[in-house]
Amino acid sequence: MHALHKILARCGRPQREHVEPGEFLEVEPDVFGVIVAINGTEAKRMAADLAELGITELPLKNRIYAVADHASPAPTVVIAQAQKLWRDFFREHGVRVFDGGAGVSHLVLCEEGLVRPGMLAIAIDSHAPTMGAIGMYACSLGGGRLTLFAIGRYVIQVPKVTLVRVSGTLKPGVLGRDASLYVNGRLGQRGAYNNAVEFAGPFIDALSMDMRFTFANMGTEMGAVTSYIQPDAKTLEWVNRHTTEPYTVHETDRDFEYAAVHDVDVSDIEPQIAVPHAPDDVKPVSAVAGRRIDQAYIGSCASGRLEDLAEAARVLKGRKVHPDVRLIVTPGSREVLKAATALGYVQTLHEANAIVTSANCGACPGLHGGILAPGDVAITSITRNFEGRMGPGAEIYLASPATVAASAIEGRIASALEYA
Amino acid sequence: MKLAGTVWKFPQADINTGLIRKQMYNHLPPQEQGKHCLESLDPEFSSRAKPGDFIVAGTNFGCGSSTPAHYSILALGIPAVIAESFGPLFFSNCAGGGLWPIVCPGILQLVETGDTLEIDTGSFVVRNVGTGKTLQAQPLPEIYRAMIEAGGEKPYLKTRLARERQAQT
Repeated sequence: MHALHKILARCGRPQREHVEPGEFLEVEPDVFGVIVAINGTEAKRMAADLAELGITELPLKNRIYAVADHASPAPTVVIAQAQKLWRDFFREHGVRVFDGGAGVSHLVLCEEGLVRPGMLAIAIDSHAPTMGAIGMYACSLGGGRLTLFAIGRYVIQVPKVTLVRVSGTLKPGVLGRDASLYVNGRLGQRGAYNNAVEFAGPFIDALSMDMRFTFANMGTEMGAVTSYIQPDAKTLEWVNRHTTEPYTVHETDRDFEYAAVHDVDVSDIEPQIAVPHAPDDVKPVSAVAGRRIDQAYIGSCASGRLEDLAEAARVLKGRKVHPDVRLIVTPGSREVLKAATALGYVQTLHEANAIVTSANCGACPGLHGGILAPGDVAITSITRNFEGRMGPGAEIYLASPATVAASAIEGRIASALEYA
Repeated sequence: MKLAGTVWKFPQADINTGLIRKQMYNHLPPQEQGKHCLESLDPEFSSRAKPGDFIVAGTNFGCGSSTPAHYSILALGIPAVIAESFGPLFFSNCAGGGLWPIVCPGILQLVETGDTLEIDTGSFVVRNVGTGKTLQAQPLPEIYRAMIEAGGEKPYLKTRLARERQAQT
């Protein structure tokens, strides 16, 4: 079995010795992640439905965490009202809430040590697989929210596993996010369709934890249902820095057969960019350099970590954002924001005339903090560039934080190599 | 159970949930999301589709965000989406919401917009009523079939809890 399958077998109800890819399995997750959501009708209906079902106590209540990451702090009265209804619901049921400014759920749950290697977390957000970078099974919820609240169960189709082995050493000025974009371009939007994706190989071994989270995050954009990186000494050092709680590291059996194996060498790549409107339409930055931009955006669960802000600050140090461009920087979590402040990165960003916001999902899902107008062109470090994501009729390019910062300075898409 | 309805075909691959229902309408009451259903691809679709019609789609329909975009389809009274394949999160969102997500490789060749399609939700055979041609769709797992037949998560849970509570006494 794959390590991921061992996690599912343990969480199977009834518990299982073995699981088979393709089967539908009822599981009880170790952690259920929810959003302080923006739909008030749903909040009222959830409370009414649970009452109608006669559920007074949520069976997972001590393992449910609500994070106010989307559209938080509230940008409109309607959303403020909805979030209030959800907060009331969570308080009534004794669910712990991480309110505005805590950050994006996948970062917060890992940093707080609430998810750990070997765990199963189901969280309402398609980028929940980000957490797989610490060697756990993390997937998004699709349907099933009422069932998880009411009886603590969820149905998972046991996935096949696609292995992506990455090798090579990056040229100076080329970042982990460039390598991640390159891999997404190579595999395509359905490269790991309905599979789990495991990232391995010497390049991943050498990668920082921040960039491993980036890789795991972008598994979603290959159609993967979960991402996994086998824990090593670097993982455990990171985890132990964030928690003293126990955890289990599972190993994949030697005879496990992957559904597909892809080898990708990133040695010779230039900085990469995904052009509108697909995260797998990836080209070297030079192919679109010079394109005028209106907004530059650094943040999201893909690239809103300390290393990302460090790269942005390095490029922007002693320089100014182009007067025709607004550069918005949204740290992924309060931990990131505090560290970036202590290290002087935030001051550098302010000096460069960047807008630094509180930690949340920000403009990535197009709900607040940098919504685009029709006709706007944005270069961003976000997760996906689907048509209309940050605002209808706008164009979104995806690139590394260094490329975004370089472009913000020049007012057009520019290579970070000139700032290496 | 057999369902029959008029087909609206959206053959493009990788129609993501943001194209099914823009994120900017996520806060609207589910019933009000119907008028924005697939508006980026066909601005007239929501006003012309009738309750009981079907959406026929291509590969990876509903990829992307886990946002409950299926609300916009349910609000139009559409009971089923038949696609070459689905984004996994949209697929399970449909089941929880009581909307039939039918995986049917070859469906794009079987029907055109305006055709009448029949779905047997027991055998998962789909039939173009006009031509008589049929295809075998992939059967849904039993738990999803039970959930959709019950009308979604809540009625399904009601039955399940009643059964489990009875077993305890």
